[in-house]
Amino acid sequence: MNIKWLFSVFVCVVLVGVVPVVMASSGPTEVLKPKLNASMAVLSDPSLAGNEQKDVRRAKFMDIAMQVFNFKEMSKRVLGQTWRKIDPLEREHFTRLFTKLLENAYLGKLEEYSGQTIVYKDERVKGKKAAVSTVIYDENTFLPVNYVMLNTDTGWRVYDINIEGVSLIRNYREQFKSILRKKKFDGLVKIIEEKNSSFDVEEFR
Amino acid sequence: MRTFISIKHAFVFLMILSLFLCAGCAQQKSAALDQDTGMEKQGDEMDMLLSDDFFDEEFGVEEFCCDPLEPMNRVFFEFNDKLYYWVLDPLNIAYTAVLPFDIRYVIGNFFHNIAAPIRFINNVLQGKISDAGVVLSRFLINSTIGVYGLTDPALIEFGLEPKLEDFGQTLGYWGVGEGVYLCLPIIGPSNIRDTVGFVADVYTHPMGYIIDDTLQSFGYYSLSRVNMLSLNPDVYEDLKKYSLDPYVSMRQVYLDYRRNMIEDNTIEQRSDNQL
Repeated sequence: MNIKWLFSVFVCVVLVGVVPVVMASSGPTEVLKPKLNASMAVLSDPSLAGNEQKDVRRAKFMDIAMQVFNFKEMSKRVLGQTWRKIDPLEREHFTRLFTKLLENAYLGKLEEYSGQTIVYKDERVKGKKAAVSTVIYDENTFLPVNYVMLNTDTGWRVYDINIEGVSLIRNYREQFKSILRKKKFDGLVKIIEEKNSSFDVEEFR
Repeated sequence: MRTFISIKHAFVFLMILSLFLCAGCAQQKSAALDQDTGMEKQGDEMDMLLSDDFFDEEFGVEEFCCDPLEPMNRVFFEFNDKLYYWVLDPLNIAYTAVLPFDIRYVIGNFFHNIAAPIRFINNVLQGKISDAGVVLSRFLINSTIGVYGLTDPALIEFGLEPKLEDFGQTLGYWGVGEGVYLCLPIIGPSNIRDTVGFVADVYTHPMGYIIDDTLQSFGYYSLSRVNMLSLNPDVYEDLKKYSLDPYVSMRQVYLDYRRNMIEDNTIEQRSDNQL
């Protein structure tokens, strides 16, 4: 009788103690899902549609993107060894440039789409890293997209996107490696700056 | 007749020679992989994403890429680029203008369906007997109910997903390395293993036995390529737009994509296909 009572007290304590902990630590999918939904909502928001609203829309989108993507980690991984050779100012400058490059490259593409549904298929956590696999369904096609995430003091953030084995960061990394070999860091910065301004010219037309 | 045999012999010799070249590269790669993953065994695709430490320079792991022919490859890349903008793209614009999306989609289904023997043979060669069964069922259903493979009721009604295999993947499955990266004129990105695979696939493609004429075969190949392009018009232009070095970007996409196609099918990961 006594043992039984003790046991039920123990269970209550454990339950009360554990539940808040479980609620507090949100997993990678729980972080990713609302943010992706919010960003898609910005793109399909009719009040933000049209070319005149482009800057507002993009600013809102990037606001959300900053909360879900770890652009600094991406920049670090994309540069590899070179990241350690450059000083903090250069790192910051590069992170800004690379973020802008990704924004230019993929936001324009994303804006072409609307009304897809994202299905979350699987989640795998291993230490500080996690992979979340999703499938994007469009009208007559589908695309499996895997997000690779890292847990830092700011929570789970995406640092790579992998589509059918093709890694976004590895792709840029290989390109940068080939440029760095010939033109060093300053040359790379110049090339990215040129690329970014080429998007501005295109938009201006 | 005699010349024909000697050409055939030379061809077989070349294939064997290139396989040996691949083996050399394979050894280097597996050494790098052992270093990379250490003791732990690789799991499925999701686990591979997490064990992918290509960025952690502390381990000294450099992603292996065998591209000693880069100068030549870049020339062919430029050639293909010109081919795209001067020939393929205008052709595609005309083609898209004449045929609506639905028709082009149906034609794409037809091209896919008729190449089923390649997928069947290569599933069998990799010991994936249940997948080979799926390929066979898909072919039979789509060729009959699907009207000569024009539509895909096997997927829509029966939920049978395509099992894409080719001879390059079969070689990779049995441990043949990629060999040197190649950017081939007209055909595009490849490597020695997949080039050998491509040639073998040409021989197992049923169209090769239906049409005898080289010019007609080339016409068939061109039409399938233009049709495929018309269904995915932005792929190449996006790649050029988003990358700082399109040649390197395309090379990496190709290598990643092929490795993924081969690796998600290795023996340990697929218990459903054991004999």
